Amino acid sequence: MPQFESDFFSSLIFWEVLSFGILFFILYKFAFPGILGVLEEREKKIKDSLDQADRHRSEAERKLKEYEAKLNTAAKEAEGILAAAKERAQRLMEENEQRLTTEADRIRGDATREIDHERRKAIQEIRAQTTELVLMVAEKVVQRSLTDADHKKFADEALEALSKSYQR
Amino acid sequence: MEESPLHPFELHNWIPISLGELDISINKAVVIMWVVVALVAVLMVMAGSARKLVPGKLQSMAEMMVDFIRGIIMDTMGKEGMRFFPLIATLFLFILFCNLIGLIPGSYTVTSQIVVTAVFACLVYGLSLVMGFLLHGVKFLGILVPPGTPAWLLPLMIPIELISQLARPISLAVRLFANMTAGHVILGVLFGLAISGGLLIGWLPFAFTIAMNGLEVGIAFIQAYIFTVLTCVYLGDAFHLHGHDEHAH
Repeated sequence: MPQFESDFFSSLIFWEVLSFGILFFILYKFAFPGILGVLEEREKKIKDSLDQADRHRSEAERKLKEYEAKLNTAAKEAEGILAAAKERAQRLMEENEQRLTTEADRIRGDATREIDHERRKAIQEIRAQTTELVLMVAEKVVQRSLTDADHKKFADEALEALSKSYQR
Repeated sequence: MEESPLHPFELHNWIPISLGELDISINKAVVIMWVVVALVAVLMVMAGSARKLVPGKLQSMAEMMVDFIRGIIMDTMGKEGMRFFPLIATLFLFILFCNLIGLIPGSYTVTSQIVVTAVFACLVYGLSLVMGFLLHGVKFLGILVPPGTPAWLLPLMIPIELISQLARPISLAVRLFANMTAGHVILGVLFGLAISGGLLIGWLPFAFTIAMNGLEVGIAFIQAYIFTVLTCVYLGDAFHLHGHDEHAH
């Protein structure tokens, strides 16, 4: 086999050791630090990014909880306000109703009283006029003057009868 | 014309140089080594100087490879093995590119020279021995005694372990050399058949040649990987004697 011919051993060994040494030196000095550095940098960067993402997520979760709590409070507050408003409206309505009822009662009472009063007045007037009328008629019928006392007595009797029939 | 399938492994001095008694003539294998050194150096330095956080193609490839080697070291030696990262990575790249460039028709497979692989094997094994004795002193000889061996078995175990230790550099060297040589011999034989078969039948071995070439690319990667893994394992053994003390994982 040609590989076992020792003629070339010395030159192969010499150049191999030299080439390998040079390559080792070049890579050691100029290539590996850069590549390893970048790898480490990237590792660190990825780790940092993951950490940061984790931090952001927990912060977001915290914020979400905060907002949810706030939302809850706001909802409760709104509910309270609504209930208060409803209650107030109810109260106002009841108050109004009561006031109106009282007012209506009062007006009706007034009206009733006025009507009563007017009626009584009218009755009185009617009575007076009727008395006169009766007296006139009676005078004509009797053809003589009656004394004041008689006068009155008759009138009252007539009136009584009249009002009785009137009331019936 | 009948050509030996071993013909591609022959070397001829192109420029005869000698350093004193030492013959350091330039031949094809030496030139290919230079090409490998230049190629690896240019690619890796370019990738290393890109330093982009979002890498381009070249940087990605280089980073993938560096990460791959780092993974091997971490798996076999643990974190303190990263001290050897430059050496192991250079070894891997050098062997890988030697294997791959050898597959280009007309070039030369440097790693099919037993002396080249032997130098690497001796370098790795020698380093593991030096590390072992530096870290553990004379106790490193305990690597010849597997843990739990009864005393009366020692006369048997020590020679066996000694042989297994000595087999390490030899197997390391021969494995790479034999794989590379065999692959190229097969390629040579198939191509020889394709040539002598003529148009009528020659296409069949030619198709096999192409398929084998594809397989050889895989083998080039696998052999570089195996060499690197075993390097890590041997250095790791020197680090963690018997694997029970100070073994991280």
